[in-house]
Amino acid sequence: MLPDVETLLEYPYTRTTGPVLGPFFTALRDGRLLGIRIDGRVYCPPVEYDPETGTSLEPDLVEMGSDGTVKSWTWVTQPTSQHPFDHPFAFALVLLDGAYRPIVHALEVASPDELSTGMRVSVQFHEDRRGAITDFHFVPAGTGTARQVVTGGEPVTVIEQLISLRYREPLQPHRRRFAQGLLDGRFIGQRSPISGKVSIPGRGYDLLERVEVGEEGDLVLADRGSVTAFTVITPIQYYGQKETEPYIRASILLDGGDTPLTGVDVRGLPIDEFRIGLRLQAVWWPAGQRDLGEIDNRSVSLDGIIERWNPTGEPDADPDSFEEFAL
Amino acid sequence: MSERVAVIGAGQTHHKAKRDDVSIAGLVREAALRALEDAGVGWKEIDAVVIGKAPDMFEGVMMPELYLAPALGAVGKPIFRVHTAGSVGGSTALVAAHLVSSGIHQRVLSVAFEKQSDSDAMWALSVPQPFSAPLLAGAGGYFAPHIRAYMRRSGAPRDIGMKVAVKDRLQALKNPYAHLHLPDISLQMVEESIMLWDPLHYLEACPSSDGAAAMVLGSDKAASEAQAATGRRPAWVHGMAMRSEPTMFAGRDQINPQAGRDCAKDVYAQAGVSDPRSEFDCAEVYVPFSWYEPMWLENLGFCAEGDGWKLTEEGATALDGGDIPWNCSGGVLSSNPIGASGMLRFLEVALQVRGEAGEHQVDGARLALGQAYGGGSQFFAMWVLGSERP
Repeated sequence: MLPDVETLLEYPYTRTTGPVLGPFFTALRDGRLLGIRIDGRVYCPPVEYDPETGTSLEPDLVEMGSDGTVKSWTWVTQPTSQHPFDHPFAFALVLLDGAYRPIVHALEVASPDELSTGMRVSVQFHEDRRGAITDFHFVPAGTGTARQVVTGGEPVTVIEQLISLRYREPLQPHRRRFAQGLLDGRFIGQRSPISGKVSIPGRGYDLLERVEVGEEGDLVLADRGSVTAFTVITPIQYYGQKETEPYIRASILLDGGDTPLTGVDVRGLPIDEFRIGLRLQAVWWPAGQRDLGEIDNRSVSLDGIIERWNPTGEPDADPDSFEEFAL
Repeated sequence: MSERVAVIGAGQTHHKAKRDDVSIAGLVREAALRALEDAGVGWKEIDAVVIGKAPDMFEGVMMPELYLAPALGAVGKPIFRVHTAGSVGGSTALVAAHLVSSGIHQRVLSVAFEKQSDSDAMWALSVPQPFSAPLLAGAGGYFAPHIRAYMRRSGAPRDIGMKVAVKDRLQALKNPYAHLHLPDISLQMVEESIMLWDPLHYLEACPSSDGAAAMVLGSDKAASEAQAATGRRPAWVHGMAMRSEPTMFAGRDQINPQAGRDCAKDVYAQAGVSDPRSEFDCAEVYVPFSWYEPMWLENLGFCAEGDGWKLTEEGATALDGGDIPWNCSGGVLSSNPIGASGMLRFLEVALQVRGEAGEHQVDGARLALGQAYGGGSQFFAMWVLGSERP
């Protein structure tokens, strides 16, 4: 039985702060909390535009005091790695004194028994601050330490926000059979009962006719085929990029199939001899050394399955013969 | 279409590699406020807001429409988010137009944006994601094999793409809002740029931009009020259509997709156009990679299949001397705030038929086509705008 697929989706995004949120984050870094006054009402965190009318205003930033009142709260019993504490804590809606709307933030107390709506709380700044909303949290009034304001730093114009999501998904049944086939050294496609066309990987249904294709539609394709299209990629650098040298990504139409395998890594073959129509034979990693890697319900990477693709020495396929399935 | 619809206001930002002075909300408002001013209305006169952008992975702001509603004066009004990948700017304008043509609203604000500098589209389009087709090496890595297949199928000479790259950048020099202004652009410069996704050179690909676009769509009544207030003519919608198809299926023609051909046929029928090359005065078409000009010339029926590259080669699509200028604004090849790129195509043809395109105006433009595509050439959005009330 193949295990569920686990994926980590993560990127360090940046946020340009602009003329209102920039001073807000700069002040947090310095150990001060700012709000914005709009038409007599004070919003903290500051909003960039009047939320009720959409009007643009010259920013009228005001310094908030340290104290506020809990309007409502919820208890976090099992904190995750992305929470501000590794022990249970509360998220609370705190109406800062003088503010028009409450702010939502973490409130640190030992037990939910210490929480009540209407309780007084104070801002507790952290010692190590970088200009982020996580530079402070709330504590019961009178229990915090005094804020230390540090001025003179550069204004905060960009903040970084690492967004990270780990998720797990089971392979769908047709996908499970396809993946098991790869481990067994076979390319399993699916034939549509309506059009008779063979797709690899199968989708579990015919995309155009919208009829289900079950296990009875599975069939084994040859492990050789023809190059129908390709590109040579010169890698540019981005977060997580591992490539440094130009490499080929090719579409290979396996004999007996009607859709090509796309984005196939065929490195090792000379780039200047690579061409549409070239006949290739898959060379599988030995059984037991095959790794499904990043294969999930949509992506297919054959890197851990196919060691390389060897030219068969046959005459090139006539491109016109696969015009209909060119890509 | 039941009620008449017109573009009564249009606004865009100056597109740049990085707008380090504004947040996403500030960027979007800049375009929206310009559109409102152009239409001679304020936030109060807007009945609903339709917003579009590329998938959330691009900036990592999940459901930005929630965060942007107050900045777009949408509190207490309907706001809708549209998702159709790269074509989203076009479909966003169409959804807004539908809200007017259905008789539901008088004035609808459509806005689209991307702040690419807050993220990295190459990453967002390369990393494996749940339930998304893997692109492996950005959009260029996905489209380059299609381009090679087009070259083989049509027998086009290798320099056609480079000619498009030069033409669109020369036209961008006449558009003050364009991101890329490359006065020294030449075939040699394109050819000497790195071969990023063979057969595509670096300079045959779109840039990565921060920018936004906005339009106010109005009813017949709103159009006459706007014209009375501002003295500027509306651009009338003569046809609008959207089509889609799956990314990959056996027998799919990815070079000349059926969905694009069907969409064009539909929108031409509505507008009464039978010969697009002679009846349109200009077109703004989503060409993020140079070779998509000849490919879409064929898909949109401006010539017979296999002949698109000949129009490009003979200069038919150039603002300077061509009979059917494409992308007079410089196109996606010159400005690419992804979510807004489709809307910019739709907006630029509005400017053309209103006679407001400035230096890149096609003299006397009366009828024009705006097109956007997205995903793996699988979402299509088009409209035909005219200077005459239909």
